[in-house]
Amino acid sequence: MTKIFLIARSEYLRRVLTKGFVLGVLLAPVGMVLLFALPLVATLFSSDDGERQVLVADESGRLFEAVAEAMPARFAARRAEGPLDSLRAAVLDDRADLALVLPASLLDGDGDATAYTRSGGGLSQFDDVRSAVRDAVRGVRLADVGAPAEVQAVLDERPGLRSVTVTADGDAADGAFVASAIGYMSGFIIYVLVFIYGAMVMRGVIEEKQNRIVEVIASSVKPFQLLMGKVLGIGAVGLTQIALWTALGAVVLTALGPILLAVAGPGAAGAPGVPPEAAAEAPFDVGAITALLTPGFLLILVLCFLGGYLFYAALFAAVGSAVEQESDAQALTVPVTLPAIIPMLFLFPMLEQPDSTLSTVLSILPPFSTVLLPVRVAVTDVPFWQIALSLVLLAAAFVAAIWVAARIYRVGILMTGKKATFRDLARWVRTA
Amino acid sequence: MTSALRLENVTKRYGETLAVDGVSFTAEPGRLFGLLGPNGAGKSSTIRMITYITTPDEGTVTLGGAPVGPESQARMGYLPEERGLYKKMKVGEQLVYLAQLKGLTTHDAERAVRQWLDRFGASAWYGKKVGDLSKGMQQKVQFVSTVAHDPDLCIFDEPFSGLDPINADILQETIMDLRARGKTVVFASHRMEQVERLCDDLCLISQGRVVLRGTLAEVKSRYGRDTATVEFDGDDAWIDRLADAGAARVLSRSGGRAELRLAPGTRPNDVVAAALAAGVELNQFGLHAPPLTEIFRMAVDANEDAPLAA
Repeated sequence: MTKIFLIARSEYLRRVLTKGFVLGVLLAPVGMVLLFALPLVATLFSSDDGERQVLVADESGRLFEAVAEAMPARFAARRAEGPLDSLRAAVLDDRADLALVLPASLLDGDGDATAYTRSGGGLSQFDDVRSAVRDAVRGVRLADVGAPAEVQAVLDERPGLRSVTVTADGDAADGAFVASAIGYMSGFIIYVLVFIYGAMVMRGVIEEKQNRIVEVIASSVKPFQLLMGKVLGIGAVGLTQIALWTALGAVVLTALGPILLAVAGPGAAGAPGVPPEAAAEAPFDVGAITALLTPGFLLILVLCFLGGYLFYAALFAAVGSAVEQESDAQALTVPVTLPAIIPMLFLFPMLEQPDSTLSTVLSILPPFSTVLLPVRVAVTDVPFWQIALSLVLLAAAFVAAIWVAARIYRVGILMTGKKATFRDLARWVRTA
Repeated sequence: MTSALRLENVTKRYGETLAVDGVSFTAEPGRLFGLLGPNGAGKSSTIRMITYITTPDEGTVTLGGAPVGPESQARMGYLPEERGLYKKMKVGEQLVYLAQLKGLTTHDAERAVRQWLDRFGASAWYGKKVGDLSKGMQQKVQFVSTVAHDPDLCIFDEPFSGLDPINADILQETIMDLRARGKTVVFASHRMEQVERLCDDLCLISQGRVVLRGTLAEVKSRYGRDTATVEFDGDDAWIDRLADAGAARVLSRSGGRAELRLAPGTRPNDVVAAALAAGVELNQFGLHAPPLTEIFRMAVDANEDAPLAA
């Protein structure tokens, strides 16, 4: 036990007392913000990337103006005559980005419009054109049947849906949105951290093996002690990073919260569909964030990181012990990294339907629970027994992983000059 | 507390390969024990069982009468053939850490490390990163890591490899000092001239088996005084004639010096006669046991000819 502690302390100090760690703690949040902001910024700019030329073959003869008007400004619609072939040729020659054929039957409530493009042109373009066609057809047909302007106005209305999360401490506006964002961020951060620190363990193991220092250490301690010490020490580095981020986040929220509110407040008040009296309150409620980031939730975050990290770190260490250099590790890490990606695929289903059977099972089942439990806890009320079961199973998964890893590790670290295969690993587990 | 290292009938298999096959020997305190053998003979496998990195399939390894284990690991220092340290750690920090793993308190570890670095004139390195040191300096640091916790049993695997003569001398002096202080010293090597110069006892293993064992003097006497060293002035063509006739084998020759192994039936006088007949000026003629290299070669050859035990 003393030796595991000694090793963990050395591994910890060796990594925390470096410029790299300090820079990582300070710069990673900046990087994370950029990472999330980039797609947003990209869409802002990409919508600006020039006019889209649309050729409209209006076979009904009455829809063109309505369609052209209903399209967003970035579309420039022109009337086109002639056979379909000439439209196709125009698209092929880049004289138009999109050719739209509106059959006369549309006005009889029959048939579909067709958009011809060279490539798909993106979902949002397709959506824009479709809703323009729908609006135009509906407008012309309403006029045809002599519907009064009031009916038209009623149909054009798009009432919004405000989301308010009810808690004992009061209501928080936009709770569902904030909860999803926090859930998504939590899952994402845990995934990234588990990987960063798991890979750090693997690199550490490979370094010791390459250095041959492992031979010296193994003449002083049991391989298992070295493995555990390394895993715990590097895990403590991860916890330190999380603690520093939390502290940093708290400082930023308290210091900048009022400023953020002042900036976000008036801008959000003009949002469509929000009744003015509600907007005057708090459209983007800082209270919704603080209501979610309870000590209990943070504890679940930390435990899930810890459980997931310990599980994957043990496996990463086993892989590291079986190879000579990092580039050889690729093939062997696939069975470790693949199950880790799976929960990322379920992030959005989980955010959308947190109470489905699938979501419930995935939030309990290790190792997926390490990412998905915090997500689910953020967006819905999870019964305590499910949280407890999930954490207990995660702990059990770690015990199983370290058991297997230790058996591979103690053979692997002393092997030189030979790349191990899966068959070798299986044999080491059986015979060690 | 005695610290004799005793191996009894130690066997280790790796899959189908029999790496160590019934090896027995005893290394006594205050003596330098040479563990010899060609590459792949099973030296490293044997050392790993002594250091409790692996455990034997059969047989026992004991230190001071008790089976080796975590307890004995703290009383051993091991310098592996493949040297390695944490490159990014500082010298002092690293040595203290390694000594702590051997059970020293922080305070004791720091004191011992500083003493040893002083002894090697290396105190200035305490705060330097290992990766910034020269290879020779790293070797010294690694040596300190082997002895800083004052082990009863020191195991040096090819300790002189890669050292310049000056540092090799310092190291040799230190190893001799450890012996004088009553430590059990095991010295593994395939460099026979070093073993011959340093060791009290030796054990030669080949293909996992002990092929030769005893004190250096005893082993040498077993092979008789059938080697002649001749120093002379003049043309050395007579040596070739002697060798061509099958009367002797040339172990080494340079200028006016030759070491000859006499074939059975060749008398020392025959060599002298041949030299005199060639008209060279004989400065010195000595008769002694074959050098260890030669004994090593014969013993290994004999073992390889023998059928392998299954």
